[in-house]
Amino acid sequence: MTPSPFVIETAGLTKRFGGRTVVQDVELQVPRGSAFGYLGPNGAGKTTLIRMLLGLTRATSGSMSLLGLPVPQRRGEALARVGAIVEEPRFHRYLTGRENLEIVAAARGPEAAHRIDGAIERVGLARRANDRVGTYSLGMRQRLGIARLLLADPELLILDEPMNGLDPAGIEEFRFLIRSLVAEGRTVMLSSHLLDEVEKTVDALAIVDQGRVVVQGSIADLTRNGPATLMIASADNSRARHVLGSHAAVSSIVSEEGILRVQLGRVDERVEHEAFADINRRLVEAGIPVYRLEPEHASLERRFLEITSRLEEAA
Amino acid sequence: MTALTATASPPLRRPFLPLVRAEVLKLRKNRGLVLTAAAMTVGAMIVAYTILLLLHAFNPDHHGPGGGVANLGNGVMLLAGLGSVAAILIGAAAGAADLTSGVFRELVVTGRSRLALFTARIPGGLAVLVSLIAAAVVIVVTVTVGFAGSVAAPSAGLLAGTVVWLLVEIAFYFAVALGLGSLLGSRAQTIAILLAWRMAVTPILLSIGALGVARDVVPGAAFNQLAPDAIGKYVREGGAVPMSVVAAVVALAAWTAVALGLGAWRTATRDA
Repeated sequence: MTPSPFVIETAGLTKRFGGRTVVQDVELQVPRGSAFGYLGPNGAGKTTLIRMLLGLTRATSGSMSLLGLPVPQRRGEALARVGAIVEEPRFHRYLTGRENLEIVAAARGPEAAHRIDGAIERVGLARRANDRVGTYSLGMRQRLGIARLLLADPELLILDEPMNGLDPAGIEEFRFLIRSLVAEGRTVMLSSHLLDEVEKTVDALAIVDQGRVVVQGSIADLTRNGPATLMIASADNSRARHVLGSHAAVSSIVSEEGILRVQLGRVDERVEHEAFADINRRLVEAGIPVYRLEPEHASLERRFLEITSRLEEAA
Repeated sequence: MTALTATASPPLRRPFLPLVRAEVLKLRKNRGLVLTAAAMTVGAMIVAYTILLLLHAFNPDHHGPGGGVANLGNGVMLLAGLGSVAAILIGAAAGAADLTSGVFRELVVTGRSRLALFTARIPGGLAVLVSLIAAAVVIVVTVTVGFAGSVAAPSAGLLAGTVVWLLVEIAFYFAVALGLGSLLGSRAQTIAILLAWRMAVTPILLSIGALGVARDVVPGAAFNQLAPDAIGKYVREGGAVPMSVVAAVVALAAWTAVALGLGAWRTATRDA
């Protein structure tokens, strides 16, 4: 049987606490073999969704599957190949790192016990594995958390805000680890409110706000969907602005700190490239020396703010 | 750690015994808990019988031998009281430690049945508790038989009956603490409630004759009923409550079933 292309699928997933809806009609599809970001501001319902997927709390309505298996009906089978960290990884602080792994390995099965040494080695804790967890730094506990989920040899890793509290070196290390796990054919879903980190780490994402998934797709698709912008610096910005003001493809021009930000209307990629070339040609023909002409990379942050501001306006 | 080579889910093979070993590890490595429980069982017996033996050695005219049936009763009374406190401490830790540390959530996401996680706490906790009680019992038996001197040493039958009675009482308080700890998710609350029940409420209820047969449901009454006659006057607490052996066994079984049932239910249904 061909495995589903999606390792996580939800339909109409909803969670209410009393009269408060925390997750609302979430339709999510996480592609197999990718790093997938679940991005949203604090309180958007990210952790609650993850907790439902893992059987830590019950859904009010809707359906979900992990690795093609419906949960909670076949939760045990599904979670046998899933590793997860929800919020901060927790341990018995009076036990050593290795003993904490032994406890989870006992719950997972005999194969997991054989993976303890490899997992400790992989996260770089071999020298501290026999120290009590109470003596570990937050970064070390995060790494031990990763070692613990590797005991499952997971097809799917679900990480809830994994970079919280890490220093820049730790974040870089974590990003590398995630990419290496994906390179092995695993799928990593991580939730975060750190847009920049998500953009650097994942291949695809869903943006969630107030419990709803408002958009999902690949990073390339999401950042391409916004209107294209050219950043232009020239010897005479005011004349350049005058020349480009009448260009059919240009929708607005804003001058910021010696740079003209020229925004185009919504056009496809081919027309966009032709417009860039035409703008350059017109400036040259007008005799304006151009120092810089650069398409602005539409960052995820800009896209995220566009989406959430539209939502606020609609509300 | 190697790259994934297969996507098919392997058949689940999850034996129960490693879960029990993990419970033993958690309790055994909790030094404060083990030292306290050991002091209340083995330590208490060493101190108590050392005093009895020294008193007899220095003043045999006024103090009888450290052994014999009477000192079996005295020792067992002490061990039953302090041992049940140790059982409450260990049961509460076994029931609530994963919850208070947050590790319960980490165990649930393994996909392991919550009921299995709960059930493993019973043999795991008992293994730690019984090993301490066994060591304490060895001291009791050694002294009461080996140092009986001029008084009658306890018979094998009495010793066997006493040990069984002691183990039932200790296991009972462990089970109730485990169930209540799992229900409440708080070790401190569990210990406070059960110590108050065991030390203060039980003797008061048993001494209120007006309660009549209602006292049959108090576990202390059942333990009074089930205690071996030869040591009964030493180990019975509160007023005597006439009840049959069957009623005593049913009362204890019901308490145990309710406590463990509530603990299992809460473990299976709580948000992790």
